[in-house]
Amino acid sequence: MGTENRIVVDFDQHSAEYRDRYPELSHELRGKCPVTWSENHGGYWVVTGLEEAGEFLRHPELLSALKDITGTGNGYDGIQIPNTSPQVTAGFLEMDPPEQLDFRRVLNPYMSPAAIERWEPLVRDFTRACITDVIESGSVDFVDDIANIVPAVVTMAMLGLPLADWEIYCEPAHASIYTKPDSPDLPRVQEQTMRMVMQLAGCIAQARLHPRPGIMKALIDADINGAPLRDDGILGTVFLVIGGGFDTTTALTANSLNWLFHHPDERQRLRTEPELLGTATEEFLRYFSPSQGDARTVTRDCEIGGYSFAERDRILLSFGMTNRDPAVFDEPDELRLDRFPNRHSAFGLGNHRCIGSNIARMQFKAILSETLARIPDYEVLIEGIERYESIGVINGYKHLPATFPPGQRDGEGLAATLVRWQAELDAGAAAASMINDQEQAQR
Amino acid sequence: MKVSIDADRCQGHTLCNMAAPEIFGLRDEDGHAYVLVAEVEGALLAAARRGASTCPEQAIIITEE
Repeated sequence: MGTENRIVVDFDQHSAEYRDRYPELSHELRGKCPVTWSENHGGYWVVTGLEEAGEFLRHPELLSALKDITGTGNGYDGIQIPNTSPQVTAGFLEMDPPEQLDFRRVLNPYMSPAAIERWEPLVRDFTRACITDVIESGSVDFVDDIANIVPAVVTMAMLGLPLADWEIYCEPAHASIYTKPDSPDLPRVQEQTMRMVMQLAGCIAQARLHPRPGIMKALIDADINGAPLRDDGILGTVFLVIGGGFDTTTALTANSLNWLFHHPDERQRLRTEPELLGTATEEFLRYFSPSQGDARTVTRDCEIGGYSFAERDRILLSFGMTNRDPAVFDEPDELRLDRFPNRHSAFGLGNHRCIGSNIARMQFKAILSETLARIPDYEVLIEGIERYESIGVINGYKHLPATFPPGQRDGEGLAATLVRWQAELDAGAAAASMINDQEQAQR
Repeated sequence: MKVSIDADRCQGHTLCNMAAPEIFGLRDEDGHAYVLVAEVEGALLAAARRGASTCPEQAIIITEE
């Protein structure tokens, strides 16, 4: 399919229509063709078929994720359509192999199922602390009071940043995601994002002098055939880990808690049949697709899977919409807690598959089960719900307020938990540094 | 029947391990899958097929020997 016979649709993933009815839109588009063309944002292909997306993403040499922020290279625009942050890259998410894999290999040991187990006690403690802080009031904003906090604190811990700093990055990290490309607020948000990036650059400089165990140190220490990783790649990657760590699990948690309110029988079922949590988590991921899609740039005139593309064409892989493909999912618009098989694309596909998927799942399961155990009978205040203005990047909520029968405070709240866990991590860091010193002395 | 994983396709989604932990292990270093039992029949073959059916990358291959 070349330019002469492509199927043109009026589509914009940042539109209110997309936010309100993207599953229906996905069927309309796919009904015309699994790969259509939108004239918006300078023109781009929209992929709504799951098999097509999988096939395309097996060719990173033809579909580049690269963002050229200096404008000295090929001028590619990275993974967002439109490119609203031309001065910042999302680290290795906006690189191609082989360099992308150099970064990925450094992070992998922190992200595998085996590696993330150690964080589960922290996740559960912070979730309980957040709930403790609201339990007497009988009122909660699931986003502000729980889902924004826990993933952010875990991300700080994994990076090796002070836990209390989660709050500095919280607003900028979310605003950079939900602000619409045509919003009058965009310049302010872009400036705020740049300030956050500068602050992170300062943290990395600090970590070079006083390293603490974690992802940041691993990036600084990395040795790729005798050379370090490049500085702007490290900065972009720390920025990426914050963006990916803060916003996505939050979105999944808010969507799921809202759905479970509207489906009380299923909420009860999830509590009485905890063995469902595994398949339910994958189904929530598929159904809500927290990360709605990423873009690529075509590197040369080519044909993939029967579709012809021209060099510099932009392609949106819409994971939100491929997750509703009836060719793969039986009754795709039904949420089934026990759906199996469920080969969804919520974490993307191919070489850029979400590196944080294991920590995301662990956190989601822990936050959801702790919340349902402590406040099972919550009532969402529907008039207070506020979704993101654009869900084109992340299908998230700004606010999800609810009430519940108040309970007795037990255990410590957020402030005390931050102090306790920081002390524990510092003690661990000191011990690790002592062992390191001893090893060096013995050499 | 023989089970194998196309290592170029596997991206570490880990769904095969959730579906059939008796057939698919996950490497500590990156969470990518490997085959624990390559020769499968009966219940193990069914488990291997469960794992293959849920792989987003379609990276699991089950063949006649």
